[in-house]
Formats: sequence, structure tokens, C-alpha cells
Amino acid sequence: MDIGITVQTAGADPMELRLDPDLQTFRTEVRAFIDSVLPADMKERQRRKVANNAAVPDLLEWMRILNAHGRSVPHWPVEFGGCGWTPMQLFIFNEELYKADAPEFDWGGTHMLGPVLYTYGSDYLKDRFLPMIREGATMWAQGFSEPGSGSDLASLRTSAELVGDKYIVNGQKIWTSGAAHADWGFFLVRTDRNVKPQRGISFLIIKMDTPGVTVRQIPQINGEAHLCEVFLDNVEVPADQLIGEPGMGWTYAKFLLEHERTTSSFIYWSKRELARAKDIALGEMVGGRRVADDPAFRARFAKAEADLLALEWSVLRVLAHEEFDAPEAAAASVLKIRGSELQQEITMLQVDALGAKALRFFDVAPALPPAPTDVWADYAPGRTTVALINRAATIYGGSKQIQKNILAKLAFGL
Amino acid sequence: MDFAKSDIQAMLLDSAERLLSENADVEYWRHQRSNATGFDEARWTQFAELGWLALPVPEAAGGLDGTIEDIALLNIALGKALATEPYISTVVLAGHVLTQATDDVRALDLVGEMAGGTLRIALAHQENGAHPLDVEVTGTRARSSEDGYILSGAKIMALDAPSAGQLIVSARLEGEEGVGLFLVPADAPGLSIESYALIDGTRASDIVFTDVTLPPAALLIGGNRGAAVLREAIDRASIALMAQAVGAMEAANKVCGAYVQERKQFGVAIGSFQAIQHIMADSFVAAHQARSMLYHALANADQDEATRSAALSAARLVIGEAGQTVSRNGIQVHGGYGLTDEYAIGHYFRRLMCIEKQYGDLIQHGERFGDSIFG
Repeated sequence: MDIGITVQTAGADPMELRLDPDLQTFRTEVRAFIDSVLPADMKERQRRKVANNAAVPDLLEWMRILNAHGRSVPHWPVEFGGCGWTPMQLFIFNEELYKADAPEFDWGGTHMLGPVLYTYGSDYLKDRFLPMIREGATMWAQGFSEPGSGSDLASLRTSAELVGDKYIVNGQKIWTSGAAHADWGFFLVRTDRNVKPQRGISFLIIKMDTPGVTVRQIPQINGEAHLCEVFLDNVEVPADQLIGEPGMGWTYAKFLLEHERTTSSFIYWSKRELARAKDIALGEMVGGRRVADDPAFRARFAKAEADLLALEWSVLRVLAHEEFDAPEAAAASVLKIRGSELQQEITMLQVDALGAKALRFFDVAPALPPAPTDVWADYAPGRTTVALINRAATIYGGSKQIQKNILAKLAFGL
Repeated sequence: MDFAKSDIQAMLLDSAERLLSENADVEYWRHQRSNATGFDEARWTQFAELGWLALPVPEAAGGLDGTIEDIALLNIALGKALATEPYISTVVLAGHVLTQATDDVRALDLVGEMAGGTLRIALAHQENGAHPLDVEVTGTRARSSEDGYILSGAKIMALDAPSAGQLIVSARLEGEEGVGLFLVPADAPGLSIESYALIDGTRASDIVFTDVTLPPAALLIGGNRGAAVLREAIDRASIALMAQAVGAMEAANKVCGAYVQERKQFGVAIGSFQAIQHIMADSFVAAHQARSMLYHALANADQDEATRSAALSAARLVIGEAGQTVSRNGIQVHGGYGLTDEYAIGHYFRRLMCIEKQYGDLIQHGERFGDSIFG
């Protein structure tokens, strides 16, 4: 398979680190495509939004627009609606989407559940749910963490007991992003208490309006309430909504994380936000001098940009399956650690470039923040909202400390 | 884009690792340090026999026409083994200057001698108080005379100069614009040389030139191209240095990974403690990002000067800092043994500190990269 980056152990061709010139043509094409289909008002709302997360109507509408052009799930296999692009083409498409301020994908559906479904799901589940995801018909919630099971996810206790052709689900999930606006959710539940913790877990799809499902939005330090608690009280779920085999949920969840090895780098997002940090540093003045001309700020910015370049090359190395003397998963943990640290550093560069002005609270509720003025440029609202919640980047998806444990084991056998 | 090595590159790296791994230990390093030159002359001859000294030399000049990637791969191996041979100064730096002067028949001869291992050449450019990345500024002067040129000035820390037969000296040409690059025999009358060791066992010299008489042919590169060629040569040296740093970091991590499994305290291997595990994880991340940045510098090596130097400085910034993280962490996990000359980690620490400060340090490369972002 031509993946856009040649992978081989040895051969006639020497190491080639320059981008294939054909990719530039591809970039020009997708940039023009996005420009022609992304509605101007949607782009404006995305660019200026105060909240960290895109508004649901825009997100779903954007999925429908992309789907109309066959590009809503480009990374999926062609038979399920993918574009058949190489990893480098996907990289460029994603980069251009972020650069254009397009709404993000509903990652839960398109990047997490989707690949698990088309890899392990029954034909019934594939036929039923893959089109819904692809067409942007529904929002999806991911129910993995529990109050007592964060980093120690395998200890989760939410139970699903098979009674006839139904599972009866009882328990509680937490940190379920967007659950309040989700139509469906995919959950890790315990179907067997009598085996090793990892062995008794299954992957179950639950409709969020099923009787017994209660969602509570959790007020966050940045004014949003995107993260939720989900209470499951004798929830009846058709047994055919269990994906694959009972007891294989842990394996599927691991597959899902490995399938999305480069997503946790947030490389596209961070590149766009670093560009915004630069705009702020060039736009804000302190004592008659641009923030960008402060030597201490400039040195910090230069380091962040250099680190981001390193992260981008580390992503490319993973995409190319570069051979190196540690397991590939070690490279994925590097992406997660550095990716999350850089998200935090870049958002804090934005905040620090704004100085004390960053302390003003902006409400996340209106579709657009107050109109810009001479004092409050349009880049000001939202920076602190995002920076505050970005402390989560080194916590979710396997905390930084868990990632370091993994690395010590994979790279050094400790 | 292709990260995989060709058969020839794989063979090059394989032969390099084989030869160098024979002598990549503390005993060897300490022994070489007590030599007059700081390295083993016999091994330099082996470098020549294996073609390494002809690697970047154009085919037309009898070389292997190797790419900058080839040079980087070989230097990763040299860095891993903490080789103290003057490869970068002679082959990468001087080699580049000489091949840029190939219209000069004599330069071709010199390249041949260099590739054959009989001639080593060092760059004498840095002056006290000068900015290492500002190649246009030099207090050394060359004035025309009836017989050629008369050179006067003072250079410091000419790396590997004590073992070099010839020097490439940068000097401002009186009555002309620009900086010229001169070839000066190391034993020419009028040179006063003070040589010393650096902390990594390599050698350097401070050199005072007092009315040194040079023939017209001593001017290798004239004032119109001198600065540009010097900049290119130093940038290539920086890439080779970064490759050595990557090799050194990866090797240091291996050494430390093994040490924390072997060293016991409280009855268990210290590698079983999470505090130690996280230090090692940090070192792995740093070395991994360093290699990524070497690729970034290589990918931009033949771009226009502004793009090339921005990419290079960004890489020097990441790699310089990573080298310090890896080697300081390495000392920490070794405890007191890390501070002895008898454990490898202290040798890696000193080498990585030297690399960080040669041809521009962290602060200077950070400034240059920052300027490229904000103007």
C-alpha cells in the first residue's frame, strides 16, 4: 500500500526527508475544497468561540456538509465511506481543516467508536451505526472513566447483566464529554466479575434517552459544563448492542487507543493555536513595546515553536512506522506526553501575551463574544477559557504519569 | 518522504557501528585522552580506508558523493561511541570549504590528501568576544603585498587545530568587501599557537597570526563568497554535531537503563522506583524529540539560507536542551558514580555539553530562531 511515506527496512532508495511534491498539489486542492464548502458564518463562530468545544449544531452540520462530498470520515476504509488517502494526505487534510477554523470532528463517533465498529462489530451494528456517524446524524458520548476508576480504568464497576435478550446496566460514569448533547454513547461495562479485571469488560452501545440514564453536567473552572456524570440505573439495553465478543471490551479499547496513535499529539490544533499566540504577541503592547519584542517572551515562544516542530516530526515518524529500537507504542506515549505539555504551554503563551487582560471572564453561552474594540481584540475572548480547561490535557487519555510508567516499561524494561 | 535507509546507508552505518563499538568504553576514552592528539591515529587511517573521509567529497574529486543524510548517519555512530577524531572539523567543515574552491587545482589535491587520511585541516574562525553565528565579523586582517597576502589577527578555540596540518582562516580583506578564507600551514612562520584539551578530551588552539606571509593561492574563497561558504560549512558542521548528540543521547539512555536495573538500594533495583522510572521516561522523550529535530534540520538542509538557518537553530535549541536533560538525568540516576571518570555517563555528559556550545550555543540559536519568527 502506498501510504505517502515509504516504509522499508532496506532498499535501493536512500533516506528521503523532504515531502513528496505531489502532496503540495493535494494540499492546494483540499484547501480550496474547504474554502468552498465551509460556510463563512460557521467559520466565524469557530474562530471566535469562547468555549473550548464547538457548538453541537455547527459540528453536526459540518459533518453533513463533508459527508455530501464524501469526506466526513476520510480515514475509514473505502467500503465504509473513507477516501482511501495515505496517512500523509490525511495529515494534510486535518491540518487544513484546523487552519481553516472548521468545526472539529465528533471524535467519539468518527475516530473512536467508528474504527472499533468496522473492525469488530456485527454486520447489524455496522449497518445501523456507521452511516449515522458518517452522516453526522448523531452525537456520541464515551463512557469509560468512573468515579473510582480513572488511571486504573480496569477496576471499573459499572455492571451489565445479561437477562434474556437484554443487558441490565447499573453504575456510574464520569468525565463523559458532551453526554448532555449526545444521542448515543459507547460504554465499557463489566459483564463478568469472576475473571481477571481486564477480561470481564465489554463494549456496549447505549441510547442516551433510555429510561434509567441520567446525565448531570459538571460545572468546570472555565465556565463550561461539557464534562458530565452519567448515572445508569437498571438501564435495559438490547443484547445485540454489545460490540464483538463479551469480555473483549478491554482489547477493543486498547485497539482504539493504538488505532489513534497520533491523535493525542493534537498537532494540528497546536499549530493553529501557536499561530494565534504569535498574533497576540504581535498585537499586544507593553510599555510601548510589542510583547513579541520582549526577549524573555521571545525565547519562550521560540522554544515552544521548536518543540512543536519536533512533535510534528515525531508524528511523521509514527505515521511512517519508522523502525527504532523500542516498541512503536513508546513513540505514541512520547506524542501524548509532549502533545499535552505543548497544548498547555501554547495556551499559556496566549494567556501570558495578554497579560492581566487575560483575567477578564467571557461567557461561553452566546454564539459570538462581544464585538472587538481597540482594547479587546478579537483574539482575546476564549484564550483563558481554553487555557484553564487545558490543564486536563495531561490528565485524560492516560495521565502524564501513567504515560511515563508505560515508557519506562516499554523503552527500558523497568 | 522515507525514513528508511538504503542498502548502502545501512552498510555504512553497520560498518561504522562495528568498528566503533570495539572501542566505545571508558578505558579507551581515558587512554585516548592521554594521547598527544586526543585520538588514535591508527583508527583515523581506518576511517580513511573505509571511505568515511571521502564521504561528502564529490565524485569528480574522487569522493563518494555522500548526502548530508549519509554524513548524519555516520555521525550518529561516531556520537554513540564518543569518538574524539576530528571528523567534523576536517571532513565536514574544511571538506566543504575545499570543495567549494574546486576551480583551484590545488584544492582538489588537498581534498584527495584529506580523503586519504594524510591531511587534517581545522577551521580558525572564532575570535574572542565575537558572536559565533556572525560569520561576517572578524578582527583578523589580510593585506595585499607584492608576494600575496600578509595576515594578522588572533583566533580562539580552533577545534582540533593541534592535530591539523593546515588551517582555514577567516580574515577581512583590506581594501575589499567581505571575508576571505585562507589556507595557512599550521607550521607557517608567524603563528603562535597555544593548545589545550577540552573537557571531552578533544583539543583546540588559540592562534595568534603576526604578519604571516601567504602566497596568492592561499586565498581559497574570495571576499564575494567567503561569508556564504563559511556559513554553509558551519551549518553542515552543526548538523553533524547534532547527529553526534543524538547518537550520544541514545547511547547514554541505554547505559542508564541498564544501570538502574543493576544498581540495588533498599534491597531492590532502583529502576523499580517510580521516581527513577519517570526520570528515565523524561530522558527517552528528550532523545526521541532530538532525533525528530535532526530530521527537521536534514529536511531543510538544502533550502534557502533563511529557511535552512531557522530550521537548524530550532533543531540546535531542542537538541542542545535534550542533551543536557539526558546527561544530567543520567548523572542523577547514577548517584555519586555519575561524577567519577570511571563511569561512561560522565563522559557522555561532558561530550554533550561540548556539543551544545560549539558553533553557537543554546541561547544564541534560540535568539536566531526567535528572530526568524518575529523579525
